[in-house]
Amino acid sequence: MRAVLKGSLRPKDNDSAYLLDVHRRGVPGRERMCRYQDSDEVDMLIVGCGAGGSVLAQRLARAGWRVVVLERGPFWDPDSDWVSDEEGSSHLYWNDKRIVGGSDPVAMGKNNSGHGVGGSMVHYAGYAPRFHPSDFDVKARDGVGADWPIGYWDLKPHFERVERELPVAGQDWPWGDPHRYPHSPHPIGGAAERAWAGARAHGIEMRVGPVAITNGVFGNRPHCIYRGFCLQGCKVNAKASPLVTHVPDAIEHGVEIRADAMAVRIEVDDAGRCTGVTYLRAGRERFQRAGAVAVCGYSIESPRLLLNSTSSGFPAGVGNNADQVGRYLMVQGAPQIAGRFPELLRMYKAPPPEVSSEHFYETDQARGFARGFSIQTVSPLPIGWAEHVLADGHRGAALREYMRDYNHWSVLGALCELLPQSENRVTLAGETDQFDMPIARFDYSQCDNDRANIAYAKQTMHDIWEAAGAQDVLSIDRYAHLVGGCRMGTNADASVIDQDHRVWGVPNLFVCDGSVMPTQGSANPALTIMALASRLGERLTAKRVTPQPGHRANAPLGARA
Amino acid sequence: MADEAKAGHLPNLRGTAAPADPYRLPRQRRGQTPQMHGRYPDYDVLDEIAEWDELTRGVVLGRLDDVPPRRFFTEPEWNALTAFCDVVLAQDSDPRIPVLAYIDEKLHVGRLDGFQYADMPDDRDTWRLVAQGLDEAAQAAGAASYESAPCEVRARIAGEFSDGKPRGDVWDELNVARAFAVVMRSVLAAFYSHPWAWNEIGFGGPAYPRGYARLGIDLGEAWEGGEALDVDPVSDVKDRGLE
Ligand SMILES: Cc1cc2nc3c(=O)[nH]c(=O)nc-3n(C[C@H](O)[C@H](O)[C@H](O)COP(=O)(O)OP(=O)(O)OC[C@H]3O[C@@H](n4cnc5c(N)ncnc54)[C@H](O)[C@@H]3O)c2cc1C
Ligand code: SF4
Repeated sequence: MRAVLKGSLRPKDNDSAYLLDVHRRGVPGRERMCRYQDSDEVDMLIVGCGAGGSVLAQRLARAGWRVVVLERGPFWDPDSDWVSDEEGSSHLYWNDKRIVGGSDPVAMGKNNSGHGVGGSMVHYAGYAPRFHPSDFDVKARDGVGADWPIGYWDLKPHFERVERELPVAGQDWPWGDPHRYPHSPHPIGGAAERAWAGARAHGIEMRVGPVAITNGVFGNRPHCIYRGFCLQGCKVNAKASPLVTHVPDAIEHGVEIRADAMAVRIEVDDAGRCTGVTYLRAGRERFQRAGAVAVCGYSIESPRLLLNSTSSGFPAGVGNNADQVGRYLMVQGAPQIAGRFPELLRMYKAPPPEVSSEHFYETDQARGFARGFSIQTVSPLPIGWAEHVLADGHRGAALREYMRDYNHWSVLGALCELLPQSENRVTLAGETDQFDMPIARFDYSQCDNDRANIAYAKQTMHDIWEAAGAQDVLSIDRYAHLVGGCRMGTNADASVIDQDHRVWGVPNLFVCDGSVMPTQGSANPALTIMALASRLGERLTAKRVTPQPGHRANAPLGARA
Repeated sequence: MADEAKAGHLPNLRGTAAPADPYRLPRQRRGQTPQMHGRYPDYDVLDEIAEWDELTRGVVLGRLDDVPPRRFFTEPEWNALTAFCDVVLAQDSDPRIPVLAYIDEKLHVGRLDGFQYADMPDDRDTWRLVAQGLDEAAQAAGAASYESAPCEVRARIAGEFSDGKPRGDVWDELNVARAFAVVMRSVLAAFYSHPWAWNEIGFGGPAYPRGYARLGIDLGEAWEGGEALDVDPVSDVKDRGLE
């Protein structure tokens, strides 16, 4: 029955796709959006309108909460703000300076976070795999990393719900907890065909997807047109980002999204309760009152905001009395290996996320390291390909030669689960930004298990290309997907938030984004971040967790303009 | 591995031999490529501009029509870096893509990449130091400046820079290997965002709102450029005795 209904099931309790306009891509209804005064004590003030913040806002609004979201970046309109061009898309990234250090520093910029309504998912690739059940207790299983205070089964209903909202397209999934997807798999391009054949020949199963890209019309979101610019923002509205999957419904249910507003401090009173957030908008410092606050600013900005929010009870930053804020930040090792074939593959066509394998996801003692990696097609556009060629050591005429050969290549990328380490951390640097806020410094160093994992993944991709009959290979080392930094746990001395995302010691302050993850698996994180936010939304609205026991002001606030 | 000889133009497969001479390739017959050679001589991505959305068209054509003036770099810095960009991009004849002009503009308006290595200065200072370092290295080799140094000297200095080797007053202020990475990030972005470079490599360019209909091995849209040679260009090089 599910198979018959593929693509035709409408998500429950989220009309976003139907609220969009057929002829324009921008979110309709912004002129009618609810507006609150700074002096209104809203029920929940959310910082950051990305994967975590948008889903949380939509869930709470559906239950009648009065919600304001502060977003540092603009309220994007794909028609007038985005282009079908690689270099012309640099305004999508979080480009304010960050200092990167450690023995294996992580490049930021285009690769690591976005801003504006929709957050990093505006320019993410679109892979939407679930975490595996094993991801939640790797310490108990393998003696590495940490165990989560919640398990896969707590998130499973939310994975299913979010998969339907995005919606996710792909073949039936055999790995982790086997499951199906609401939309059928997309057709694949020549580059992915080669990768698929190579994996088969090497004895590795691949599957098409899972990608958060419509395959068929979904509400007023059109079908994908296979133009390949997913990492530059989808001008078609086919690729899921909160801008099209949750923001329209949130606005319809009374959320105010205050774009171009930079939160600089969470205010906590002497009784240890959070009272609201100080933010800057149009050069003016303002303070929004709130009954509760959720920080959803991404793995760098969430720790930075907590660290910058000092008060008498929290001299080293709110939630940081045990010196845990910013620690255990993780990135996935994301080496790429390209293979060359005689035919024209034209990897710029079709979305870069096409086929993937989780064959190596789980620990296998025989490999000599804990945990594993996944393999996916990545298909860079020309500038990305040039960086790949440069990293393999080519300059001048040699670089140009490989560039001219662009259409003959297919690129595989691995996502290696690197382990959480306490010294991999966000701190505040001495330098301040244009808001007079100390900028973030992020130190990162790999451990031996990390290096062994990356080396094995690279060898595996080499083997796949050899099995495919590739004539030449090129490789590049890189990272992807920051998570952690405000991890959840069962103990205030070793984590920042509890299993209900509440900052230890502050009953009405929550963190709800990728930073809460204690481990990262080797799945791309966005779906899991959204599922976590969906779960928190459910628990808050069902009052299984209350920001302020016994108190819910019901006086009507806010007005539709 | 499959028949290596078939990919004989690829630098990794040539052992210690120099890269194949790009002037072996057909001359561009339609539109422009940097140095007018390429693998798609009858393909001009600019023939398709009517199919692009207006916003993207403006951005891409702006690169051709409004080459920004020099505002960030001083004249000596500009001269050294222009010569350096020509070496690392193998732009040894006209027409050249004016990469440094786009970089100058980016640095002038402060459109930076959102991160700075802890052991490095601000990107803008890195660029200036690199320019000075190139001149310093050229002077150590007996030339007046990097720009006026003989071709082999310029190539050697650029090669040493890419290997993180140079030492000296200016270079010691930098993590040299990282400085090369910082500089090349912008150089490559400027070069491969230019439509002439897309012609050279056969990239489809902007694809909204039209999109693509023919995915799959050896399938092309009617308007996509075919490779000039219907045999694998790689083996053709060999067959024609051009190696
Ligand atoms: C190039 C790229 C490709 C990716 N590909 C994939 C993929 O294929 N699949 C996948 O699952 N994931 C992918 N990711 C990762 C994924 O996009 C992120 O992990 C996810 O979006 C993070 O969610 P978040 O809620 O933590 O933060 P975000 O989605 O980044 O949202 C944070 C928001 O908070 C705002 N903000 C931060 N600080 C403040 C402040 N002080 N005041 C106001 N606003 C603030 C930011 O502007 C931003 O909009 C990719 C990421 C990138 C960059
Ligand atoms: S390939 Fe599809 S999902 Fe990606 S940007 Fe184009 S239309 Fe959007």
